[in-house]
Amino acid sequence: MTNLFLGNLKYWLYGLTLLGGAGVAEWRGYSFTSINEHQVAPKSVRDNPGAYRSHYSTYTRYSGGK
Amino acid sequence: MKVRAIDCPNCGGSVELRGYSHSLSAVCIQCLTVIDTSHPQLTILKQFQDANRVRPLLPLGSRGRFGGKLFEIIGMQERQIMVDGTTYSWQEYLLFNPYAGFRYLSVYRGHWNFIEPAKGLPETTTRYLGKPALKYQGETYRHFQTAEAETSFAMGEFPWKLEVGQKVTVKDYIAPPKLLSEEITPDEVTYSVGTYQTGEEIAKAFALTTPLSLASGVFANQPAPAANLGSTWSTFVLLLVGLFVLSIFLKVISRNEVVFDQRLHYSSADKESAKVTDIFELKGRTSNVEIESETDLLNDWMYLDMSLINTETGQAWDFGREVSYYSGTDSDGRWTEGNPKVSVNIPSVPSGKYYLRIDPDMSDDAGLHSASYTIKVTRDVPKFWLLWLAIPLLMLPALWRTIKRGTFETQRWAESDYATSSSSSDDDDD
Amino acid sequence: MNPLAGSDRFRGNCPNCGAPIQFTFLQAVQTVCKFCQSVLVRQGVDLQLVGKVADPLIDASPIQLGTEGQYGGQAFQVVGRIVYEYLGGRWNEWYLAFSNGTFGWLSDAQLEYAISFLVKSTAPAQATRGVQVALGKELFTVTTFTRARYIGVEGDMPFTTWDKTESNFLDLRSANQRFATVDYSEQPPLVFTGNLVDYDDLKLRNVKQFEGWQ
Repeated sequence: MTNLFLGNLKYWLYGLTLLGGAGVAEWRGYSFTSINEHQVAPKSVRDNPGAYRSHYSTYTRYSGGK
Repeated sequence: MKVRAIDCPNCGGSVELRGYSHSLSAVCIQCLTVIDTSHPQLTILKQFQDANRVRPLLPLGSRGRFGGKLFEIIGMQERQIMVDGTTYSWQEYLLFNPYAGFRYLSVYRGHWNFIEPAKGLPETTTRYLGKPALKYQGETYRHFQTAEAETSFAMGEFPWKLEVGQKVTVKDYIAPPKLLSEEITPDEVTYSVGTYQTGEEIAKAFALTTPLSLASGVFANQPAPAANLGSTWSTFVLLLVGLFVLSIFLKVISRNEVVFDQRLHYSSADKESAKVTDIFELKGRTSNVEIESETDLLNDWMYLDMSLINTETGQAWDFGREVSYYSGTDSDGRWTEGNPKVSVNIPSVPSGKYYLRIDPDMSDDAGLHSASYTIKVTRDVPKFWLLWLAIPLLMLPALWRTIKRGTFETQRWAESDYATSSSSSDDDDD
Repeated sequence: MNPLAGSDRFRGNCPNCGAPIQFTFLQAVQTVCKFCQSVLVRQGVDLQLVGKVADPLIDASPIQLGTEGQYGGQAFQVVGRIVYEYLGGRWNEWYLAFSNGTFGWLSDAQLEYAISFLVKSTAPAQATRGVQVALGKELFTVTTFTRARYIGVEGDMPFTTWDKTESNFLDLRSANQRFATVDYSEQPPLVFTGNLVDYDDLKLRNVKQFEGWQ
């Protein structure tokens, strides 16, 4: 039994670190995809939603379709 | 009892018999004559050519400890076999202790074996993993090689009458780190067991000042370097179980709470399409937010430009998704393209009071485009893709070790009777 | 009852040189005079000279007459010796007297040791290497066939050896380190069974000393 742990020590360290990392990432809700995050003055947007300029500026109009 | 010396009947040189009366033949170091020492009237058996003189790796007369017992090297043989037209030669050292008896050390390309006579016979003859095998002392030894060994050169003394060119058929069976050798003559069968030794271990046993040459290639009974593969894969399974437990834990602690769910409408006729939702609360620890939208689009597209905004801190997350759905029929039947549903996951959103700003857009051609869509906001959705990714990553070390073991075993069996171009590398379990 | 104890062991004088002779165990019938190497056989109360041991039998075996050891929980003493010679050299058979009154043989060939005891088993008329033989309830395989002759004796023997010449011998082994030999020098052949042993297993005392070795 001890051989299972001692003989594969590096494997255990690697595996538990991997699981730990994945667990923490899941806990914090991390992701590879990042949503554009920024500061904005809240009051003006609630009063005038149309005036808000989304920083998601990479959007180009969809011009396809059937 | 004292060591005595005899005079070589050929050249008169002094020949010491460190094996006392056990030595039945001895080689004169000066003229390489093999002397029959079994009777007081010394006779000549044969003579080695000086051209074939071999320098022993371990000097004759050196003493080393094995299993707590001291042994002295009193003889050395260079033996060879012929396999597929190639000659392979190795050295065998005769170890002597006047009480414990005789043992042997064999060396081939830096791989050593400590050999002692087997006391019992193998229990059964069987087959294992496609090869003939012998069961001895509870272990299964697989057949490795059958060859005719010939003595090409010798130095020192031997407890048998050494005949130059004498051929013996030897069958070797392996259970790394052990080797079981079977030598058969018409009147006798003997078994000996070898245990693999590294050059370092031998150098240590004989307290050598210069190290022995490094081992090259893989030897028949050389133990595989990695830990036992069974335990490696067991480790993987246990880690997988840990992953499973972690997933269950994360699922249990996730809130998975729907905090906003509403049906909204868009029409290209609306003057101002942007709207803001009521404020909703995202509770709990910093975690993800999932926003799903289901539209009633049919043969049309819509772009949803959205922002999640924190009322207190002013933090905003901007994102957008295209939604489109088309369907029809053609000669092959009904077809569909796209998906009327869309989902976005925003990571690491702190708790607090939030609202969504949504600005939908549809085609700006002349026609009237409208759609109704739902917006559903769920707090802390358990997403497992990181853990799914962890599975192959967890498997990597075990896979790597298995592949490395495979190449090691292929190298091992390449020297055997079973070496073919399509050698199936059977795994040794240890 | 220790066969080595007691004063009722046979005593006499060597008919050749007059040296005092005392047999080491009750059942001994033959002995070798230590002084003149004469082989003497007991005839009633007399000792008869039957021959002489010509070859000095000093060899490098650590065992000698008087060596003591242990086997199977019993102490033994070496009281006799037969030396055989064959094509591949010589070997010794040491006669052992155990403290529980039994006797056995310690085979010593090239420092490979085996202890065996005479058993009432029937041996095949002949057998060759590789043949399986049942002796008693055990199954053995013939490992060695040897043709050998007596070349000398030492100490006391429970039988006479002088009239024996060249004979066949079989060595047999089994998977669990059991050992057997068949001696075809008599009719019916003599069968011995026992075990292979390491030098250390016998805990030998009063052994030969070798210069330069502990």
